[in-house]
Amino acid sequence: MDNPLITEPLFHIGPVPIAEPVLVNWALMAVLGLGSALLTRRLSRTPSTAQTVAELFVSTIDGQISDTMNRDPAPYRGLIGSIFLFVLVANWSSLIPGIEPPTAHLETDAALALIVFVATVLYGIKNKGLRGYLATFAEPSWVMIPLNIVEQITRTFSLIVRLFGNVMSGVFVIGIVLSLAGLFLPIPLMALDLLTGAVQAYIFAVLATVFIGSAVGEGHAAPSMQKDPSHG
Amino acid sequence: MDNLVEVVSIISAALAVGFGAIGPALAEGRAVAAAMEAIARQPEAAGTLSRTLFVGLAMIETTAIYALVVALLVLFANPFV
Amino acid sequence: MTIDWWTLGLQTVNALVLIWLLGRYLFGPVSAIIAERRAAAQADLDKAAAELEAARAAHSAAEATRDDVARQRADMLAAAQTEADAERTRLLAAAADEAAETRARTQSQIAQMQQTARAEISAEAAKLAANIARKALARLPDDILVAPFADGLTDAIAALPELARDRIGQDGPVTLRTARALTAAEETLIRQALSRALGRDIALTLLADASLIAGLELDAPTATVRNHLAADLTRIEAELAAHD
Repeated sequence: MDNPLITEPLFHIGPVPIAEPVLVNWALMAVLGLGSALLTRRLSRTPSTAQTVAELFVSTIDGQISDTMNRDPAPYRGLIGSIFLFVLVANWSSLIPGIEPPTAHLETDAALALIVFVATVLYGIKNKGLRGYLATFAEPSWVMIPLNIVEQITRTFSLIVRLFGNVMSGVFVIGIVLSLAGLFLPIPLMALDLLTGAVQAYIFAVLATVFIGSAVGEGHAAPSMQKDPSHG
Repeated sequence: MDNLVEVVSIISAALAVGFGAIGPALAEGRAVAAAMEAIARQPEAAGTLSRTLFVGLAMIETTAIYALVVALLVLFANPFV
Repeated sequence: MTIDWWTLGLQTVNALVLIWLLGRYLFGPVSAIIAERRAAAQADLDKAAAELEAARAAHSAAEATRDDVARQRADMLAAAQTEADAERTRLLAAAADEAAETRARTQSQIAQMQQTARAEISAEAAKLAANIARKALARLPDDILVAPFADGLTDAIAALPELARDRIGQDGPVTLRTARALTAAEETLIRQALSRALGRDIALTLLADASLIAGLELDAPTATVRNHLAADLTRIEAELAAHD
């Protein structure tokens, strides 16, 4: 059994080692980018089925963001939606035989969590100014400053480990079962893996939204967004 | 038993995952029970409740995941082997 | 636990590129089309509201026009009514005036005719009375037909202006008409009375005239002195006729 904690490079481009998650990531990028471009190439006011699905997806994400942050979701829609879509597709890419999901490797999760962390800091500074953002670390009193800093790091770390642990354990369990039994036995586990993957993508996106929302502070209610409580 | 360290590592990994799962299991059970009660009492708040529940479950689950990661570290990245 | 930093960096770059890609090609256009559709729906709603408003305005304008027309018609009807009333009043007044005028004219004509008739009747009656008186007086006894009137004649002569009295008898004989032929006594009596009244004698031409009924009449060229019943009757008759 392979060591799930080690990412072996497949080949090298010059000095740069290219591992399997990077390759899979490129493929996913190509698929998502081309699909999006094809989907949104002919948008019309009377939508096709695909366009309806895309609009439903986007407006659902908008609703979730505005529900969580009480803000206009437009500045965060791209980041949150992309993270959710990428994590979801990456988790579900384990359905393709021979493909290991990129999120089952620590580096991909770390990259995503790093992006969320940086985005949290940037959005906080953008909304409150540098001084205002730094002042949030001294809340509710200056005694909490070390704890707040530690919280920033640990929650990013827990973001990494949660996604990694869930996806990797799923892959791991399926690998074990596959090596033991063979044909039909892994199917329920794979279904569970799909559910876990979707839930983890949702949780990752929601946590990213919560982190960014807490960084930008209490927002005013976005007037244009309707509440959509049927998703969750 | 020259590979005592491996034996201990495997046992400790199993113990870590097993005991590490007890706490989150109980906590998740309580959280889900409370959420169910809340939804039964206030069905119109089911959307907000379930979203909060999912986030909370993910938080709780993180503990079990930590245990799993520790187990994996013990198994595959054991510095004493 | 090892982390492949190269893979981490690559995956970070990949994720960033993917976020940009999806934002550029998925979320941007889709949210744009959502916003566009929402704006279009809002515009349609606004347009519909505006058209509804315009329709309401047109409706109220049409109602106003209808009311206007109705009011104009009512005004015209009222004006025509008023005019007709005025015309009818005028016609009635004219007819009444005309009728009143006709009636007045007729009344005046009737009055005139009545007056004329009454005058004629009066004249007729006067004439009749005179005739009756004449007929009645004709039955008077002969001896009182002349003599009692001599004093009245002399009084009338005395009442004449002096110039006219002086002229009586200067231009020839004066005709003395009597109701019947005088007797000799009567003739002397009358001559004496005349001489007394005039202060001189005058030549008399005696003439009997039964139409005098009773009395005397002195016919001089310059003055006529009448003292007889015929003259009285004529005068009474004239007075009766003039009285009416």
